[in-house]
This record gives sequence, structure tokens and C-alpha cells, in this order.
Amino acid sequence: MSDVTVEAMEGKLVTNQLPTGAIVGESPLHHSDLASIAKKGPQQGGVHFHERKLKGLLTLRCAPSAEQLSLIESLLGVALPMEPLTSVTTDAVSVRWMSPDEWLIIVAGEKAFELETRFQEKLIGHYALVNISGGTTIFDVSGSHVVDMLKKSTPVDLHPSEFPVGKVVSTVFAKSGATICRLADDKFELVVRRSFADYLWLWIQDASREYGLVVKA
Amino acid sequence: MTEKSMTQKNRLQDGGRIDRSKVLAFTYNGKKYTGFEGDTLASALLANGVDIIGRSFKYSRPRGIVAAGAEEPNAIMQIGSTEATQIPNVRATQQSLYSGLVAGSTNGWPSVDNDLMGLVGKVGGKMMPPGFYYKTFMYPKSMWETYESYIRKAAGLGRAPKENDPDIYDKMNQHCDVIIVGAGPAGLAAALTAARAGARVIIADEQNEFGGSLLSSKELLGGKPAAEWVADVVKELSTYDDVLMLPNSQVNGYHDHNFLTIQQHCTDQFADRAPNGQVAQRYHRVRAKWVVLATGAHERPLVYGNNDVPGCMVANAVSTYINRYGVVPGKNLVLMTSNDNAYRTALDWHDAGRNVVAIVDSRKNPHGTFVDAARDRGISIIVGSGVIEAHGSKRVSGVSIAPLNDAGDAVVGPIIKMAADTVATSGGWSPVIHLSCHTGARPVWNEEILGFTPGATYQKQLTAGAINGAFSTAQALSEGVKAASDALSQLGLAKSDVVLPETEVIEEGKAMALFHIPHTKPTSKAPKQFVDYQNDVTASGIELACREGFESIEHVKRYTAMGFGTDQGKLGNINGMAIAAKMLNQTIPQTGTTIFRPNYTPVTFGAIAGRDCGALFDPERYTAMHAWHVEHGAKFEDVGQWKRAWYYPKGNETMQQALDRECLATRKSVGILDASTLGKIDIQGKDAREFLGRVYTNAWAKLPVGKCRYGLMCGEDGMVFDDGVTSCLAENHFLMTTTSGGAARVLSWLEIYHQTEWPELEVYFNSVTDHWSTMTISGPNSRKLLEKLTDSDVSKENMAFMDWKPMTVAGVPARVFRISFTGELSFEINVQANYGLHVWKALFEKGAEFNLTPYGTETMHILRAEKGFIIAGQDTDGSVHPFDLGMSWAVSMQKPFSFIGKRGMQREDCVRENRKQLVGLKTLDPKAVLPEGAQGVLDPKAPIPMPMVGHVTSSYWSANLNRSVAMGFVKGGLDKMGERVFYPLADGRVIEAEICSPVFLDPKGERQNV
Repeated sequence: MSDVTVEAMEGKLVTNQLPTGAIVGESPLHHSDLASIAKKGPQQGGVHFHERKLKGLLTLRCAPSAEQLSLIESLLGVALPMEPLTSVTTDAVSVRWMSPDEWLIIVAGEKAFELETRFQEKLIGHYALVNISGGTTIFDVSGSHVVDMLKKSTPVDLHPSEFPVGKVVSTVFAKSGATICRLADDKFELVVRRSFADYLWLWIQDASREYGLVVKA
Repeated sequence: MTEKSMTQKNRLQDGGRIDRSKVLAFTYNGKKYTGFEGDTLASALLANGVDIIGRSFKYSRPRGIVAAGAEEPNAIMQIGSTEATQIPNVRATQQSLYSGLVAGSTNGWPSVDNDLMGLVGKVGGKMMPPGFYYKTFMYPKSMWETYESYIRKAAGLGRAPKENDPDIYDKMNQHCDVIIVGAGPAGLAAALTAARAGARVIIADEQNEFGGSLLSSKELLGGKPAAEWVADVVKELSTYDDVLMLPNSQVNGYHDHNFLTIQQHCTDQFADRAPNGQVAQRYHRVRAKWVVLATGAHERPLVYGNNDVPGCMVANAVSTYINRYGVVPGKNLVLMTSNDNAYRTALDWHDAGRNVVAIVDSRKNPHGTFVDAARDRGISIIVGSGVIEAHGSKRVSGVSIAPLNDAGDAVVGPIIKMAADTVATSGGWSPVIHLSCHTGARPVWNEEILGFTPGATYQKQLTAGAINGAFSTAQALSEGVKAASDALSQLGLAKSDVVLPETEVIEEGKAMALFHIPHTKPTSKAPKQFVDYQNDVTASGIELACREGFESIEHVKRYTAMGFGTDQGKLGNINGMAIAAKMLNQTIPQTGTTIFRPNYTPVTFGAIAGRDCGALFDPERYTAMHAWHVEHGAKFEDVGQWKRAWYYPKGNETMQQALDRECLATRKSVGILDASTLGKIDIQGKDAREFLGRVYTNAWAKLPVGKCRYGLMCGEDGMVFDDGVTSCLAENHFLMTTTSGGAARVLSWLEIYHQTEWPELEVYFNSVTDHWSTMTISGPNSRKLLEKLTDSDVSKENMAFMDWKPMTVAGVPARVFRISFTGELSFEINVQANYGLHVWKALFEKGAEFNLTPYGTETMHILRAEKGFIIAGQDTDGSVHPFDLGMSWAVSMQKPFSFIGKRGMQREDCVRENRKQLVGLKTLDPKAVLPEGAQGVLDPKAPIPMPMVGHVTSSYWSANLNRSVAMGFVKGGLDKMGERVFYPLADGRVIEAEICSPVFLDPKGERQNV
């Protein structure tokens, strides 16, 4: 039991969910063997696709008081984006505004438990921090035709005047959903649910076909 | 002249926007023809002298091309060179010609020239007077079926391909500040104005090139041919990043909130099948801040006798064929007009070197620029007269012309007959208001232009050009600039400078309001005067409708079918209303107008379906172990969008054999189920426990940390809608499970109650369904198997039934729950989903010695039915409360706060005697398996209809018990233990069953409490 940590401070359970040692996690697109496609597939095209896998993703629910806000800032290293549909991104952490009392936090896979523990130890008041790393994956899509591919997939307006770098929306994507964040002019992050990942990957391949799809390992 | 172009007998040697160096071969009704690049199918057919392009819907009369655009009523084609690429209902006037195009008439089976239906059709005509459909529906259904097959064959609705369409159709979402519908002079001026101001602009036009009326006009703009101005504007527009130009794109629908749908023809305007996997058609879904409708106008033909004989055309269409396509569709023209504007057609015809027999003007004293030009050319003008009848059958051979009275409603002099092969007519112009009507605006009659213009709208919509009755090029240009400027100022964008080109000064005399040319005979006896060609509606049909008492124009429309279907009244509506108005002694505005619905022209199913077909038809949700299930030959069952393993047949096993094996192996040793699809909701907060007590029927106040509890969830009506096990992870932290299909609904349910009823409770809900992989090992050897993969103590003493513990399983941190849906010793192992497959495989490595057997949802159903466990949604249907299910143990009426459903389940109806209650059903013949859904009766000899007492909800063959097991509802069943119920089946058998406890196996629960 040495590798299982149970902390029940504040009456909530925080456990490390990752194994130690040599056991490698399998992301939702593991079965697609993207590494081989990246090697054998086309190297040029209008849409680039990369599964940024096995990251630490956490949902924070909180209607933060001033005190909570400053505690959260010290715990995350960045302030929570309070402006709707905005985000902050640093090397260590990304925070996406999801709803008036909800944020998505993305850290390195092995950092999630650390962050949960820190919150458990330091943050006061009513909040919930929920690890969703296993239920979620990230698709990075980019390229000269990435907006065209996205326009086939989502009704949201992607024009830079409406959807600048850093904006984040959770919306319809094909017949599923995604949290879309613009990382650069021609680069977007799609956070999708594990069970829908295969469908969305199929969709993106299809929608990219006329532009050429490059898979990045 | 090449030999090929010589066959195009109506083609001019020069002029037009066609490229004579690019000869395109095509096939029409099995014959080979040639045309040129830039032709439409219609212009190419006319160039080749093809007069008949179909037979009419009801009367089977030969029909020719009448118009040159979307309003064409007759030239409705079936396009496609192979079975798979068939497209029905394409207007020849809207289809660009391409090399290898194969077209056929949709009407006129089996041959348009020599139609077998010709004779039958005349009978059909009498059989189908106006009101046919309504009258027929009154007769017995069998009659309608007889008529229907006959009508369908004759009606020429086109046909769908019998093979899969190989082409790709997709959809794209677009957003803009301003969408401009129509790229004629008004639309182009608007687009230029908006683009220069930096607005995001979409401009769409159904034609293959922008320019609209300017492409077939001889007018000069700024002293240069109008087409040059068009080219300059198009060139400038193409330089703006934020301007999207969509030619070959029909705006077909204008929906609420400025949402518009556009069908763009990407490759099907130049290829039968899209080359290199390109998109054949794209459906644009546009959300626009402002809409500028610059949809132009359609010229109205006049209604006269035999006006459907091939060679009878709309005047402006004739000009378009001459000026844009270099095609003169005849040799000797008679032009009938009520206005100056149409004189241009006679001038164009004359200037093309063909003979204008006469201009027949209904007005006594026409004067104006064009009239003078005709006189200058020595063209004969017959004033105060009309063409009362065309002669000929397969092509016009001549006309009868007669003087008319001032009102234009009576013939007042002798008939002159003249030879001619073409009759062009103009009754003025009807603004194209269709899109403006789609959002509900009622059109307004404008006496000045003798047409309807767009009515008031709630949409952010502006209109410009001919749609407003601003018919001259000068007016259209300036209205375009104004509409765009208005939109810019509403959008808060700065104005832009657009200097419009100088236009020619044209004087036009007043037009006469004329729609229906009288005949010497009364309308009912005169040769047929067609109003709506596509639906074969005649003037006499409309008069008949009025005589039969239909006064509302909407009723007249439905009675006659005027403006029905794909035609949407583009040419005929105004004429029909005018005829009805005259019959009813009303003005046109008093008579009113029908309005129009999407789509403006037919849209292919491919475009509507887009990519939501084949593998992408609906999302398939997979668990982390899905690939393993596939590898191991699982059959899958759809549960919501999830693909769940159903059973795993081995070798040649039948389904029942596989299920028997899975069931026996589980009860005998150990089986494993992928239960990852169960809905899982993380619930945290100091009021979490209180909240659970309010949404579940049972008590939660005292559930200790480390324990699990089953709960029922009811609606306000007290009826069960979901169930599941919730575990206490920590004092203020719970994990709720829901049914696989109910997960999203339950989460919404919790949020709704939290947000609307009890916002004061400090609790948060988050879905963790996808985060955890869940695998249940079940059976007497499940503990032994688990012990091989964990160091933790999972003995009965340390981990009792309904306990949960965190532990490491196969090297992965896990949460293990001792809960059971099979009644066996069971462990539900949850691990972070990225490690689910690893742990699953590790279980199989260690499980070989226990014959670890994977089982699917079907075996799960059987095993739980043996134990009498319900499945919400199968054994409940929204009409049963916990007491009906015999689950009073799961309801606590003592809770201090109420719970959802408490009052509902105490309603008078819910506590009455003889409610349907869930019981076990033990067939007297142990081999007989009741069909689910079978209705029970207490007396099998009762006369039909027998009083039914309830239906079978779950029924299976149990290999473990070597007999059938079933549950079902029986009225008052809980008090009828040991009594008999009978199930008369459709095949004549009657299965007799004993009412019993639903728990068929291990009623004391000794198997799970070990």
C-alpha cells in the first residue's frame, strides 16, 4: 500500500491515480498507432494533427472569494482567468475558463496529483478539484487550412476578430463536443472526451482530406 | 465553321460569353450533341435546336425551355452518366455544360418526342381537374393507391440513384458582417461598398459567374460594356481576405436570426463525378449580422392560349440566350409586351440578323427609347393588341393576334394570323421575394411596378435593386451602395467611397397592368392558357377554383397546386393571383399572395446529409478496452452511443451457446465485464450528503466512509427514472454511478435541482465517466483472482460486501468496490482509463487458471435477472414507483427534508389497489421462455379483447437454473404469489406461469456475502 496515498483532509479523497515504474499509459488514440502514421504518412499538408497525450487535466469548480482567488493563484502559479472565454498558458500550466464557476487546468501528466495535493492542503472553502486526465485527451491541430477544417466541424466563429489567440470555447464539434482554444493564428487545442476521441479523430481525418493531413508524433 | 458547331443551328458566329474554341460533347436523351464552354445545358440544347425538353405533369403536353434561370419551370433534368451519379430535378438553365454530361428529361416517359402517355395523358387531364388530390382523398384508400402509381410515373419527379453516390458532400459554417445574396448590379455594388469598409462579406450567386443581368445586357457602364465593370469589381473583391465569393451557389434558405443555407456546386457544375475525391457540393451554414437581399426579378410571361407550345418564352430569356450564349432560339419572332422594357428582346433578335415578325403591344400608344429604337429598325409594331393564341404542337408555327379593349380583358376586333416560330412575352417583372418570405414577412403589393416587394421584417435584413422594384441598372447600383452603407453604419463600421459608373439614360413609357390575355372564347372553352407550367395549372383551373368557392388565395393555391413543389410559383404566382382577383372582383392586394418556403430550388440529399454518413453517421463511443473486445470476437450492442460488448462467441457457437457458457463460467468460477460505460459522477462539498438524500429515495445521512449504497432516483411524479450505487469516498465526497444510457440525464438533473431549487447547498457535480475504466470480476473465484494482483487484504473480514477500498491492482492505483449485479462475490475495479487495458490484460494473464471468462451485456442481463435485479428503463418505463417494484426497502419516508418523488408516489393513484407490480414469472414448462413484451391475462378463455394484467419486462433462458426466468408486471401481483397468469402469444401458444418472487437464485444472498 505504500504507493497509495489517501488524504481525507477537508473530508475529500485525493489519491494518486498513476502507477509508478514501467507501466505506460495508453491514451484514447493508442489503438490508432499515430507514431507509425507520423512516420509513414505524408509530411506535407494543410492540416497537422498531434495527440498531446497523457497530460494532467483537472476540472476546478469554485465561485472564488478574494481569498480563494489569491490562494488559487499561488497554487497554480497563475491567476485564474475570470474573463469569460479566456485562458492563460505558461510553460507549466494552462488554465481555460469553462463557465462562470468552472476552469480546466492542464499540467504535465505526473503533476496532476501534486496539484491536487497542494489544493487539498492549502485551499479553503467550497470548491471541487476533479482529476479527469484519464477521461480526456488533447488534439493539437494546426496548419494553413486548420480553420477550414474547423469550419466544417464547429459552428463557432473562428475569425481572428472573434476568436483571437487565447480564446477558449466549449462547443459542438461534429456530433460530439470539444473545448477549443486558439494557441496561435493557425494552431488550436481541442480537449475532447476519451470515449468520443476515436470518432473525432475519424472526423478530423475526413474533414482534412482535401487539404492533406500530416500526423505529428 | 467547324462541322461540330454547324450542328448548332441556332448558334451565332460571334458574341456571348462562351468560348467557341472549347467544344463540349454531351448527351441528351441518348443523343449526342455539342456545345461550348460557358453554356448552360439549356443554352446548348437551344443552340442545337432541341425544342421539346419534357412532357407536362398532368396533360403530357410537349414543353420547351421558357426561361434562362432558376425560374425555369419545364426544363427539369435527370443528370448523371452512371447509376451512382444520378441527380434528379436539375434545372437545365442552372446546370453548366461540361464535357461528357449526360442528361435526360424527367418528364415524358418513355420518350419526349413520341410520348405513349400523350393519349393516356389527355384522359389523365380530365381525370385530374383542379382539386384532384382533395377529391381523391375522399375516396377509399385503395383508389388513391391506384392513382398514385399512375401519377408518380407521369409526374416526372425524377428519380434517386439506386447505387451509393460516390461523391463527397460536406458542410461548412460561415460567419460574416454582411451577406449579399445575388451578384447582379445591386449585389456587386453592395459587396464593393462593404468590402472597401473592411467588413467581412459573403456574396453568393447561383450563376457560374458574377454579374447577373449585366452579363446579358448590352448596356454601357461608364462608357464600357457592362461586363467590363463586372470584371473590375470581381477582381477587386478577390483581393480582400475577408470577402468570400461564392459563385454556383444558391442561397436556398433564409431562416430566423439571419441564418442562411447555401448550396454550393463545387464540381458538379463541371464534372459528372468529383475528380480526385474533391467535394462535389458544399452546404454553407451562414450566420450573418446583416443580410442584403439583391435577388433581382423574374420577368412575368403573359398568359394566352396554347402558351406552352415549345417556342413560347419569356422575353428577357430570349435576350439572355442571344447576348450571353450567342444562341437565337428561332427564326421568326413575335414579341408580345405590356411594357417598353421587353422591346429590347426584339432589338436583340433583329440585331442578331433574324426576323422580327411583329411586336404586339397591348398599349394603344407606346413611346420611349426602346420603342423608338424598334421603329428606327423598321420593326412592325401592332398596338392595342395581344397574341390570343399560339399555333403548333411540337413547336410554334404561328400566332393569332387580336385587338384588345382598354382594360385588356376583351377581344374587340378581328383576328390576324401570322406565321412565327417563337413567341416572346413580357407582362413586366416580379421581384424575387422568396427569401424575404422565408422568415415570415408578408409581401406588399406595389402598384407602381405591378408586383410584390418584400414586407416588413424582424430580421436584420436590407434589400437592394430589382427586388425593390428598382429595375434600372442605375437604380440597382445606387440601392446596392445604400444598402451596404446602411449595414455598415449599423455595424459601426466607417463608410467607404464607391464611385458608381455612369449609366445610359433610358426613357420608358408607362407599363400596362396585364396578366391574362382574353380569347374570343370564354376561358373555360379557350385553348389552354397556362399559368403554372410545372404543375399544369391553367387560367380556367383557377377560375374553376374560384367558382367552386375557394376565395382565399392560399386555398386556391392548394386546390390547383399552383406554385407547388420545386417551382414555388416563380413565374406563375402573380398571374394566378391576378386571375383569381379578377374572378373574385377584387384587387390583387385584396386577394393577397401566398408566401414561399425554403428551399428556393431543390437541394440534393447529399448536401443535406453532408459527412454525417457511413462511419461518421453517429459517434461511436469506445471504452479503453474496446480494441481487446474487437480482437476477441465480441459482438457489440448499442447502448446510447456506446458500443458495448454484447457477447463473445467462440468458434461456431450460437448466441445462446455463448451466453450459456458465459453464464455458467461466471457462476462456477469467475467472469469479467467491461462496465466502463456506467455513468460516474464525482460529488463534492459539505452538503453532498444532504443533496443525495434529496435526490435519492433512501437515506444517506449515515453512510460511512468506505461504504457503498444502492439508490433509486425518481421524478417529481414519484416514478423511477434511474438507479445506481453511490459510494462514500470521504465525509464530503461521493462517487455516484448511473445507468450507461442515463448518465448525461442524471448529471443534468442534479445540476438543474442544484441551480434552481437548492443553490444554497455547497456541492459540485462533475462527470468522471470517461476518466475511470471499470471492470467487474464476478464469481466464486473472483477474490482469488484479485489476490493474485494486489497486496491488499481483500478478505471478507477486511472488505465486506458493499465496502470499497483503494488499492493497487496489477501495479496500478485502483478503487475497488465490492458491489455486485450478479449476486456473486464481485469486485468492481476502477482504474484511471489510460491504464484500463493494462489491468484488464493483467487480469486475463492471472485469470487463465480460473478460466476467467469475458461476458457481455447479455450475460449481465441474464445473471441479474436470475437475481431479480431490475434494469431502469427495461423493467421500468416511467410509470412505476419503487413500491410497484417491490422495493419499499429503498424508500425512506422518515428523512427530515423531503426527497424528489415523495409526494408524487403518495398520490391517490399511486397508492390504490391493483396497480401493476413487478413480480417473478415462473413458467410451468421450464423450457418455455416468455417473449419480452408479452401481455398476461388471468383467464385465457376470456373473450377477446381479454382484460390484460401486465407485460413481461425481462425474460431469459438461465443455463445455471436450467429453466427460464422472467419478470413482469401483474396487476396486484405482489399479493398474488403462487397464482397463475397466462400469456397468449401471436403463434397460438399460451404460456402459463406462476407468480413468484423475482429472485430465482440464492434468495438468501449467500453467494455474494462471502
